[in-house]
Amino acid sequence: MKQSRRNFLKTSAVLGASVVGLSSAKPTKAAPQNILSDERMGVLVDTTACIGCRKCEWACKKAHDMPAGNIESYDDRTVFEKRRRPDAKALTVVNEYQNPNGKFPLNVKVQCMHCDHPACVSACIVGAFSKQANGSVIWDTDKCIGCRYCMVACPFQVPAFEFEKAWSPDIKKCDFCFDRTKTGLLPACVEICPMEVLTYGKRDELIRAAKEKIRLYPERYVNHIFGEYEVGGTSWMYLSSMDFTKVDFPKLSQNPAPGVTEAIQHGIFAYFIPPIAIYALLGGVMWLNKNRKHESHGEEE
Amino acid sequence: MKRLSLLLVLVLIFSINSNAQDKKFTSHSEKALKCSNCHSCEIPTKENPCLIECPREELVTVRQSPEEGPEVIKINKLRGNEDLYKEVVFTHRLHSEMAEMSGGCVSCHHYNPPGKIVACNSCHNEERKREDVNRPDLKGAYHRQCMDCHREWSGNTNCDGCHQLNNTSLSKEDLVAKAKAKTHPKIETPDRIKFETPDAEGKVTFLHKEHIDLFGLDCQTCHSNEGCVKCHDQRPEQMKKPRTVEIQHQLCSDCHDTDDNCSSCHNDKEPKGFNHLVSTGFDILKYHSKLDCQRCHVNQGKFTGLNKSCSSCHGEWSWSNFDHKVTKIVLDEMHGELDCESCHTSEDYSKPTCESCHDDITYPEFIPGKRVK
Amino acid sequence: MEHFFKPTPIQKKFFTPIIMIVSVIALNGLIFLLGRFLFGIGAITNLNDQFPWGIWIGIDVAAGVALAAGGFTTAALGHIMHRDKYEVIIRPALLTAMLGYTFVAMSVMIDLGRYHFIWHPLIMWNGTSVLFEVGICVMIYLTVLYIEFLPIVTERFIGRVNLPGFLKKFNNTVDKLLRFLDKGLEKTMFIFIISGVVLSCLHQSSLGTLMVIAGPKMHPLWQTPILPLLFLISAICVGFPMVIFESIISSKSFGLKPETDVLSGLGRMVGPLLLIYLAAKLIDIVVRQTYVYLMEVNTESIMFTIELLLGVVIPLRMFFSRKISSTPAGLFIASGLVIFGVLLNRINNFIVAYTPPYAEASYFPSIGEISVTLGFIALEILLFRAFVMIFPIISVPQKVAPKTKYAIRGLFK
Repeated sequence: MKQSRRNFLKTSAVLGASVVGLSSAKPTKAAPQNILSDERMGVLVDTTACIGCRKCEWACKKAHDMPAGNIESYDDRTVFEKRRRPDAKALTVVNEYQNPNGKFPLNVKVQCMHCDHPACVSACIVGAFSKQANGSVIWDTDKCIGCRYCMVACPFQVPAFEFEKAWSPDIKKCDFCFDRTKTGLLPACVEICPMEVLTYGKRDELIRAAKEKIRLYPERYVNHIFGEYEVGGTSWMYLSSMDFTKVDFPKLSQNPAPGVTEAIQHGIFAYFIPPIAIYALLGGVMWLNKNRKHESHGEEE
Repeated sequence: MKRLSLLLVLVLIFSINSNAQDKKFTSHSEKALKCSNCHSCEIPTKENPCLIECPREELVTVRQSPEEGPEVIKINKLRGNEDLYKEVVFTHRLHSEMAEMSGGCVSCHHYNPPGKIVACNSCHNEERKREDVNRPDLKGAYHRQCMDCHREWSGNTNCDGCHQLNNTSLSKEDLVAKAKAKTHPKIETPDRIKFETPDAEGKVTFLHKEHIDLFGLDCQTCHSNEGCVKCHDQRPEQMKKPRTVEIQHQLCSDCHDTDDNCSSCHNDKEPKGFNHLVSTGFDILKYHSKLDCQRCHVNQGKFTGLNKSCSSCHGEWSWSNFDHKVTKIVLDEMHGELDCESCHTSEDYSKPTCESCHDDITYPEFIPGKRVK
Repeated sequence: MEHFFKPTPIQKKFFTPIIMIVSVIALNGLIFLLGRFLFGIGAITNLNDQFPWGIWIGIDVAAGVALAAGGFTTAALGHIMHRDKYEVIIRPALLTAMLGYTFVAMSVMIDLGRYHFIWHPLIMWNGTSVLFEVGICVMIYLTVLYIEFLPIVTERFIGRVNLPGFLKKFNNTVDKLLRFLDKGLEKTMFIFIISGVVLSCLHQSSLGTLMVIAGPKMHPLWQTPILPLLFLISAICVGFPMVIFESIISSKSFGLKPETDVLSGLGRMVGPLLLIYLAAKLIDIVVRQTYVYLMEVNTESIMFTIELLLGVVIPLRMFFSRKISSTPAGLFIASGLVIFGVLLNRINNFIVAYTPPYAEASYFPSIGEISVTLGFIALEILLFRAFVMIFPIISVPQKVAPKTKYAIRGLFK
């Protein structure tokens, strides 16, 4: 047969060149925005001050044009009988936990933690998620294909999905009121909170303030700022009077959630060397085998 | 010329001010305060006073009476254009009356250095978006002060407890009625309180009125730190801390021996109340009734061991150092310079006897002088 | 007399009683699928915010990709290593892979909330996303598989193009096009074959990396940084058993004699591969000291034990036994166990091991999900049957020496 060695080499070279070209083009285009600014903002949630009035839930829905209902209906405290999670209809919820050591039960608001090294940003297949300079982790609904990998990746199990929608369902999660903060407003929940449970400020300022609180009132707080180091740090951080595992926070390491995955990914695709190497190796094996066959065939003939 | 005088005035004001500052600085260290209440470092200097932000310490010991404060305050510092809620009409006097039995003014005015009451917004920023996030903003500070008590005694965190929605469906009459319903009924002072004591034998009847009238205790002596939950406690049972025997007896044990001698209080019988004559044989009703206990019982908490004889307190009396007028009888010349014991034979100088000199007259038919008022 | 094997379209009746049942299962799946498109994912699945991925990803996609690994392993064996003996199984394996990956793509499509944006990854890239890498690789590999299949189409139709009705006048053009394709592919096929193997290695392993990011949400028995390696090895392990399994079934179904010699040759290669896989698995749980979780009795530990014992250890022993691996029945059972093991491994990795922190109840697939999954498998069987009846895929013994020109494409002969 006429498949010559020259032909083989020629086609291989063309293919190799195109792959190299592809790989060099990749880094410029292939990453969603993932900024870790020193000036990033955050929220310190002092759960010991929260009274569970749930006005944040109302304000959040209002700010995101979701059906919010009557504000007075949020005074209903029977919802605390069940642990709730943020979903596609409520981006933030408040839960209540009995606190055997304190005067009051502990109310804990739940929403996206806005990680410094967000797993969703790393995982999203189309780069719909991005970490903004002001700390918020937001998503671009026009890009989303609804694969729900962000939900698998999120260490806090926060992104929710509109499972009941047949056409164009959306991922829903707290966006740190990105549209409001852009115009100088506060996040809706922060603004409405009567007790200022939610303190909005620069992340490192908040950590300083939180440490001072713990120092001044050691009997009021456990000595732990949740989110200072968890999964490499989060923009939203919590103070509590109870151990965080008792108020349904996951136990997480200090390593960024996407760390191992990205290390593997970058190992396999280090400048496309490993795939090209396999390609070359297989090509070589194929060529050698072909020649061997050729020779034996030649002898037969 | 005008300018010069203005300058002079300014300089004058400045110097007075700085003088005053200096004075305060030298004097405050002499107060009975721990340095660490206000300073975070061990040796504060003028250059680096290392002051703690907003020391939550009681710096005033003077108790202002409720009448000294305003009766009603309208809290409307934070009014904006798109407020959800109406302003709060805060019944300041009512609340300060209620605070009488708890911490007093400092239970709300937690940072209260000597002088004029410090306004909340002098420390707490009216803007939520701010640089210094160490202290809550004004809105947070207000609500924390209110809710800490309100949710404790009512278990209720509803906003309309204090302010109505701007688009409320309630009519004006409803609102007035609601506001009226909020006033606390007058707190009555009971004569006696019976304590059920399920864990100990014998009920305790506490003579409340007698402790006030007879022993001159004011409310704060015992009711010093009582929040609303003392009466209104909506918390679920498991939230309430069990009170130990020590805590239950604490108030009494300041004056009474609560370690032994239980039956003196734990006693199903209705107590008759305290009578100095019956209990000690010394009648204080006549001349000593207006004295504080401590006047005679100088060793605090110790009420035994005093001698009934007058001289044990008053020393030796004679006609020259005792003004008999206090007994409402001025002695005539005949009796004026006699030794006291000539007529008062008993130790307590009670009823005099005439028999040692006179056969035919007796006291009080005969008076050795004249009665005065 | 020497036997020649030549791939030939099978001449048989399409419908048999079993195929009727398979058709009903397929139809049932399609009905539920219609429900998914009319009423949304939530309406017919048990998925929720805690369990965003169910069996459509765990079985249809993850296990589907693994079980279609026969395509690249046989391609590597036949084309790259040039073991001519195994050429007879390349075409069925290729067809299985092509259909398998087609259904993987379809399963992804139905599982996507916004399936109309399935093309987004082509232009919206996220280099850090494992899913992006898997998606792109699978898309390219699917194209490669179609290209690899093209010579079979040209072989079937060159000189036999017979379009109905007015299309008749294009007969000549189509024939020319086919001949052009055939010629072009003959020269370049090796590129696609190597690409296919490289792409397979990449996405088979990356499929394992997918769940690494779930971190502590995944049970430590499975959560390991070497997941991509384990996925790759297990995919290579299951490639030949899948070919054996499917070859024996189709022989049975079409009344042909199984190629016991070729199949047991394949089987002999499975044993060592399984041994490597078992060693990797065991070293992993020893090094990470996760074997402690096997001491407790719960769903995870039981599933892990079944997966390893039934899916790896027993078939390993069977494939190493010359007696068992030289009989069709022994090969069939051993291969079936390996397939079961890998299937279970994918289910375990994607579903059983996934324990989200706030789940109220654990996930179990709904009737709708199971129906669609079974329906897709049934459809695949039907399509396979249709394809082997239309195209020359299964090699049948020939009396006369075959014309070699279109026997095996893309080889250096």
